[in-house]
Amino acid sequence: MKLCPELLCAAALVLLSLGCDKSIVPSDDAFVAGPAPEITAPAPVLAKLTQEQYRNTIAELFGATVVVPGGLEPDTESDGLYAVGSTLASVSPLGAERYSDAAYSIAQQVVADPELRSKVTTCEPKDGEISGCLEEVASKTGATIWRRPLEADEVASLAALGADAVKALGEFDDGLETILAALLQSPNFLYRVTQGEVVDGARRYTSWEVASKLSYFLWNTMPDAELFAAAGANELVEDEELAAQVDRMLADPKARQGVRNFFAEWLDLFKLDDLKKDPNIFKHYAPELGAMAREETLRVAEHLVFDQDADMRDFMTTRTTFASRRLAAIYNVPATATEGFGELNLPGDGPRLGFLGHVSFLAANAHAVSSSPTQRGLFIREKLLCHGVPAPPANVNTAIPEPSDQSKSLKERLMVHMEDPSCSPCHAMMDPLGFGLENFDGVGRYRILDNGVPIDPSGDIDGAEFGGPAELAEDIANHPDYAACIVRKLYSYGNGHHVEKGEGELIDWLIASFEGRGRRLLGLFRDIALSDGFRTLGEVQE
Amino acid sequence: MKFDRRTLLKGILGGAVVTVGLPPLEFFMNSHGTAYAEGASGFPQRFGLFFWGNGMSPSRWVPEDEGAGWTLSEQLLPLANLQDDITLVSGMRVHVPNIEPHHATACGILTGRPLILDNNGHTFPGPTIDQVIASHIGNETLYRSLEFGAEPGSGMSHNGPWSLNPPEKSPIALFERLFGPSFQLPGEDAVVDPSLGVRRSVLDAVMGELKKVQGAVGSADKIRLEQHLEGIRSLEKRLAKLEEDPPNLEACAYPNQPEAEYPDIEGRPQLKEKNEAMCDVIALALACDQTRVFSNVLTKPLTNILFTDAPAGHHNLTHDEPEPQPEVNNIVIQCIEALAYQLEALRAIEEGDGNLLEHSLVLATSDVSNGKLHSADEFPIILAGTAGGKLKKGIHLRTVANENASKVLFSICRAFGMNLADFGEEEGLVTESLSAIEV
Repeated sequence: MKLCPELLCAAALVLLSLGCDKSIVPSDDAFVAGPAPEITAPAPVLAKLTQEQYRNTIAELFGATVVVPGGLEPDTESDGLYAVGSTLASVSPLGAERYSDAAYSIAQQVVADPELRSKVTTCEPKDGEISGCLEEVASKTGATIWRRPLEADEVASLAALGADAVKALGEFDDGLETILAALLQSPNFLYRVTQGEVVDGARRYTSWEVASKLSYFLWNTMPDAELFAAAGANELVEDEELAAQVDRMLADPKARQGVRNFFAEWLDLFKLDDLKKDPNIFKHYAPELGAMAREETLRVAEHLVFDQDADMRDFMTTRTTFASRRLAAIYNVPATATEGFGELNLPGDGPRLGFLGHVSFLAANAHAVSSSPTQRGLFIREKLLCHGVPAPPANVNTAIPEPSDQSKSLKERLMVHMEDPSCSPCHAMMDPLGFGLENFDGVGRYRILDNGVPIDPSGDIDGAEFGGPAELAEDIANHPDYAACIVRKLYSYGNGHHVEKGEGELIDWLIASFEGRGRRLLGLFRDIALSDGFRTLGEVQE
Repeated sequence: MKFDRRTLLKGILGGAVVTVGLPPLEFFMNSHGTAYAEGASGFPQRFGLFFWGNGMSPSRWVPEDEGAGWTLSEQLLPLANLQDDITLVSGMRVHVPNIEPHHATACGILTGRPLILDNNGHTFPGPTIDQVIASHIGNETLYRSLEFGAEPGSGMSHNGPWSLNPPEKSPIALFERLFGPSFQLPGEDAVVDPSLGVRRSVLDAVMGELKKVQGAVGSADKIRLEQHLEGIRSLEKRLAKLEEDPPNLEACAYPNQPEAEYPDIEGRPQLKEKNEAMCDVIALALACDQTRVFSNVLTKPLTNILFTDAPAGHHNLTHDEPEPQPEVNNIVIQCIEALAYQLEALRAIEEGDGNLLEHSLVLATSDVSNGKLHSADEFPIILAGTAGGKLKKGIHLRTVANENASKVLFSICRAFGMNLADFGEEEGLVTESLSAIEV
């Protein structure tokens, strides 16, 4: 089977990777891609904690019982990734206010709870002398919250704030609370500031910078004590020590949190919170369906990556899923758990398999009252294959015909996209893929008729034919751009910027390594974390 | 008066400097001795943006006759009781390249500039009109500007590239923010919270740290951090004002407290109810002079929300419903009803011999004109209030065909006393305002 996308869009933007000549390398653990190419990555980015990272970090610092107030600054996406958007977006005045309010709320909760308070306070004032203890708190707790040791003037300034608070408000704990609140609304907490260091004429991240970058990449939260210790010993600039930490971290349960977050950003799963369907048309819809559907996909991802160390093609083709009763009802299979999510296997000969069979994909990429072949096709192109699809032009009539005797089904009505030359070049990239999924309605239920017309789900994707949704899923799993797209997405995710010139050689190597070693995601995390793309940086751009 | 550093920085980034000239003398003087942007009435001028998604239907929007006493068109009928308070402008075109349907024209009508677009996404190149005005009149109030909107979404108010002011989407949260425990009615006895001073010292420290980080990062990140600094500065200023007596304004009062929740009904959000609750809160926030600038994004560009009784999502319907699109028409009318509610809530508040609406200027517009075609011509533009007597009211102005819509933004700036040489950029650039609506 040769997979070669034609020049699909007349007004074509760039197809990010055409990959026509790439033969599929067979899965083989013994594959060695050779040494990774040496590159210098672009100038550093200033990443702000995403909402997830903020919440995870607070939980890591003080425990999961601390309530993080809602309404934090919303995340910004760039090509779907918050990890990249967080290096572009500014904090709004409302955002600054909310970070400040949250800092006080968290500080109050910590100081009011003796157990939590003891985590941040290793001393008590002696004989009314408070400054020594305030300095100790600022220095010790500050280093954890800011993820690096504090300089002397920083400690002094924080301790002085604490002392002022004690003076104005009366209690030692007012000082503690003020220091915590100051630490938590500081840019040194909210951002990851990186400058790197020049060694032998080349710029690399410092050990402390690597520690934070690595832990947000692999865990989506702050470093633990062991990683901090490695940074303190300046070990994270050394190949072997870094590899040892990466392996340790990928084996840690927190890696699940990191992998889940990557899937959620890559596949737009956070947007499922706003999933709305017309309940008169879709009886299985409920306001909580979106969050439920996200959890299903994340559990499948977690299962494949951690329990199976699976080939990422399996994400497209697995029949194993984790469904709540409501999801099982949509899939028309018996639920295996009365509460929460139960593991179950979808029928082996059925049309539903892999991520393209999930409600999280099918319902999110559909309209409130119907399916949407165009939206589903667009998602496959952009998210799964990294193909660019241009925006529709202005001043064209975008109406599609109402159902009629000649064209009753949505597929028949959308055929105008194929006939109109101002529509067809781009819609030919999208709609036929979506037609392959028309057996699933706007919420993801299987059907064989659309408005009384039997559904014909056959088609082809870039030359590979499919007879229906199951074969479409297989075709995407085996599309060379699928593996390449995962590499590009994870690389951008880990580095906070899109792939730039000068990184192409490394990307090619990462793709070869990923494919050569059976497309295992943890291996790709490891390859990226150990590559120059992750560890080096260019000069700050003035 | 100091230069607005943020605007300057944004201007530099956008490739052209937004020049903020010296304001007229009246801005320097008021009874409190503070800079105070006033209309002729002596009450402060306010600016509001009202925005809804997916446009309108020009054939049902543009009135048949012009001038004063014009006849309301079908989609403008909800404004019947407000006709004397508004100016309708028709015939204008958003001139920036329409490269990304909905977003390019939304950017054009709100900034006068082309959208920044690359393979990875798009953003606005400079401040939207509400922030342009806020940079001029927003510095004296507790809040420089307030953003809210009934549909959860990303909002329209921008400070510059990748710098959005996210809207408050929950009526009760908006109420708590503005009229929660820290709010004080004029004349109300209040003990100054001793922790306010400590909080301000903390903010000083945060600002010092932000400046230190600015020294370590590249130029694009410096601008981001400057925006963050701006937020901290305004927060600190707000805390300082909480230690003072509130402005003595007769119309200031507590609004009705919104419901705690507005759950969807049959999969349809309670847009109307949420909008009305938030409009009530914001009207009194303006009356109490907590802010002078707001933006209300009822629905966002491309919204596919299910409106009450609509058989499909709004965006779907604009493209899929056959002409004459009765369902789309119903939705546009619902949006204009929401606008009418907002304007009536402002008008209901008396200020001196006039009312809050007269002292305000509300620009109501959308992301496209004809949603089905993503068109940029015959753009929907409604101006309500007079900015304190600076703009005309009660007329329908039909401009020459495809007149540049940036001229309206230029006129708005002029109405607020901004002395600009031009407005907009590239195709959106204009060197003249729309003098026919100015007094």
